[in-house]
Amino acid sequence: MTPKNYLYEMIRSELTWVVGDEHVQANEADNLGHSIDYYWVPECWHDRGERPTPPDLVVYPGNTQEVAAILKIANTHKIPVTPWGGGSGSQGGALPVYGGIVLDMKRMNKVIEIDPVTMCVTAEAGINAQHLEWEVEKAGFSTMHLPASISCATLGGFIAHRGTGVLSTKYGKIEDMIMSLEVVTPTGEIINTLPVPRHASGPSLTELFLGSEGTLGVVTKAVMKIHPIPAARKFHAYLFETMHDAMVAGSQLMISRMRPAVIRLYDEASTARIIKRVLNIDRKGAYLVFGFDGPEKIVDLEMEEACKICEKTSKEDLGTEAGQSWWKNRYKFFYPPYMFQLPQAFGTLDTVATFANIENVYWAMKNVVKENFPQAAFIGHFSHWYDWGCMLYARFIIDEPPKDPNEAVALYNRIWDMAIRAAIREGGVINEHHGVGLKLGRIMRDLYGPAFNVLESLKKVLDPNNIMNPGKMGFPGKGV
Amino acid sequence: MHIENYLNVINACRFCFMCRHLDPVGNVTFREADTPRGRALMCDRIRMDAANLSNADYIDAFYRSAMSAANRFHCVSDYDETGLVLAVRRDIVEADLAPAAVKALAKTLEKDTFSVKGKGRVLYFGPTPELYKGCAVITGGDPGKALAVLGFEAASKKVFTRFKKAVTDSGCKTLIVAEPSAFEFLHDRLPGVKVIHSAAYFVEQGMNKTGSRKAVYLESDFLKNTCGNPSAPRDLLKQLGYKLVPFGTNVEESYAVGEGAVVYDTLYPALAERLCQRVYDLAEGLGKTRFITASQTVKDTLKKYNPAFDVITLEEAVALSQD
Repeated sequence: MTPKNYLYEMIRSELTWVVGDEHVQANEADNLGHSIDYYWVPECWHDRGERPTPPDLVVYPGNTQEVAAILKIANTHKIPVTPWGGGSGSQGGALPVYGGIVLDMKRMNKVIEIDPVTMCVTAEAGINAQHLEWEVEKAGFSTMHLPASISCATLGGFIAHRGTGVLSTKYGKIEDMIMSLEVVTPTGEIINTLPVPRHASGPSLTELFLGSEGTLGVVTKAVMKIHPIPAARKFHAYLFETMHDAMVAGSQLMISRMRPAVIRLYDEASTARIIKRVLNIDRKGAYLVFGFDGPEKIVDLEMEEACKICEKTSKEDLGTEAGQSWWKNRYKFFYPPYMFQLPQAFGTLDTVATFANIENVYWAMKNVVKENFPQAAFIGHFSHWYDWGCMLYARFIIDEPPKDPNEAVALYNRIWDMAIRAAIREGGVINEHHGVGLKLGRIMRDLYGPAFNVLESLKKVLDPNNIMNPGKMGFPGKGV
Repeated sequence: MHIENYLNVINACRFCFMCRHLDPVGNVTFREADTPRGRALMCDRIRMDAANLSNADYIDAFYRSAMSAANRFHCVSDYDETGLVLAVRRDIVEADLAPAAVKALAKTLEKDTFSVKGKGRVLYFGPTPELYKGCAVITGGDPGKALAVLGFEAASKKVFTRFKKAVTDSGCKTLIVAEPSAFEFLHDRLPGVKVIHSAAYFVEQGMNKTGSRKAVYLESDFLKNTCGNPSAPRDLLKQLGYKLVPFGTNVEESYAVGEGAVVYDTLYPALAERLCQRVYDLAEGLGKTRFITASQTVKDTLKKYNPAFDVITLEEAVALSQD
């Protein structure tokens, strides 16, 4: 599309007819915001004075029927459509890399029903996650999906990227929380997945769209589990001599089938650099924090048993205060200046693996970064723990990357390629909750092997004209 | 450029999403340009190339901001995004790029003059002089805050100088200010004069409890987010016998319908109406609950788009107690 020809005006008129004049925007103020998400590459591009690709039009649908009508128009004219929630994804999944339509979902922000019998909430997918949580809390419940991006991401964004909240170890990832979905397919049909998440009526269509990053359709509505507000939520922190000692304790908590709401383990470098800066805890070693919630008596008993496990190998009991402090400041890590900032180059090498493999994944990535990129620092923490393994939130940081944006991005991509391929060799999976997007599409075939053909076939059937978020998740682009 | 004094804010906010859920305008327009991140990105573009200052889309977005300061209040690092918007507005004005409607409004505001009536040791500035027995009264328009918010710093100083002269000439050493925007503007600008908000004055006087009624106190952008969130308005309402009930879904968001931008309804009535509609919608579940605001402007705006909406000012609450 180009804003200069009459076809553009014809298409804009069609879209305006669907959503109203005010809800089709093509101005430079909005385009700038929609050309940059939380991915380092467009941020770097902007930082170096370049202009990331803007959309041709930003369209704000107000309901599912409007989404369907917009997709029918786009499909007729074969125009790329990139769904946009909060724009806080770190993988470039919401970037309109081929221009076209950005479908900004934030107008679809209604809580439709809070059902205290089934304990679920039905909401439109564009609702801001913090607004959703506030509404659910007002009714006396919680979604228990509380990631650092809660203030900016939308419910649909979480679904698109299989997001994970801070309490994932007890309450699960978003795919464990979603009961059913309403989806508009790329050709404009409105479909609903089955109303319960456990059934034997064929494969789960809900699962098909969870993590599809807007490549298979647009999620417009979701039914999500909610939970009672726990009577107690308590935390405790320990310091270990090494990350390995802490990993042994953390995995023991999980394989003994205890039910912590959260565990976080910071490696020695993170403890020295991040824990010191944000929590003002100045220690050498590996910081481990965990928490339980629920009825107070049960929480106290679980806490007692968990402490017994940690005391076997820990170097220092940092106590409940150091644990509570982490909970209180859990989002502070992501605010400037605590978060890394341009012109620094930084990336989160989000990887998930079994307990048998996770430390090997860590060392493989750390060694590859250290050996090949001496200018990069490598830190990591282990974020989301399950009864079979956990997620590694590894990060590389380069304080002075090349000033030339092409060189900077090339260096950035080289680090990603080498580190992630090293992780995959050790049994790591990219990734646990950030998604694939533009950033990691090229690695999907390596990750999946022949199974990727199945995903490609699904994409072709659902989206014959490849209008939905082209060039993401390893699916074909539109040609440059 | 003035925005260069806010490079730390530009650098911090341009890629940060952590407060976007709190921008009142962003929450009704849903536009990326109506968030602190969106505005910081535009300022960054202007920093890189001053020619971008004349971008009409950018200028409109900067003036569309409600400047509630809820974002700054929320930020763990207190980055002053509201200050950045003020700075870029000053740059726009000094480059003679302000929109025609803004210029026209500024011309009107520049004409404000002030006079003092009556005698006393205490001077009152606000819409309800009858409540302040024995006080002298200063009348006129806005003391310079509105012009400052629009980016007309020099004109603001001129108007303030007239206001200050009137205060000085009165000989009063205490000034009671009712409107939160004026209180925020004046409270540290009049050496030798104690400036207090009207709520604090009444709390000091001690009010009699005259009944028991449920009410929502609509937090003021200026009092809560800029002036340290004094407890006086809530204390006053409790003294008067009001039982305050929570409003909305949280305590961070601004429901002050553009108060922070002082003249928001004049410049952007359609957006002001949408901000009001959000308040009306949230109020639906509360039944017959009275809303009380510190700001006459907030009350007028809420009444304008729904005359039946039960909202009064703090001063009117005091007046009702004296009936």
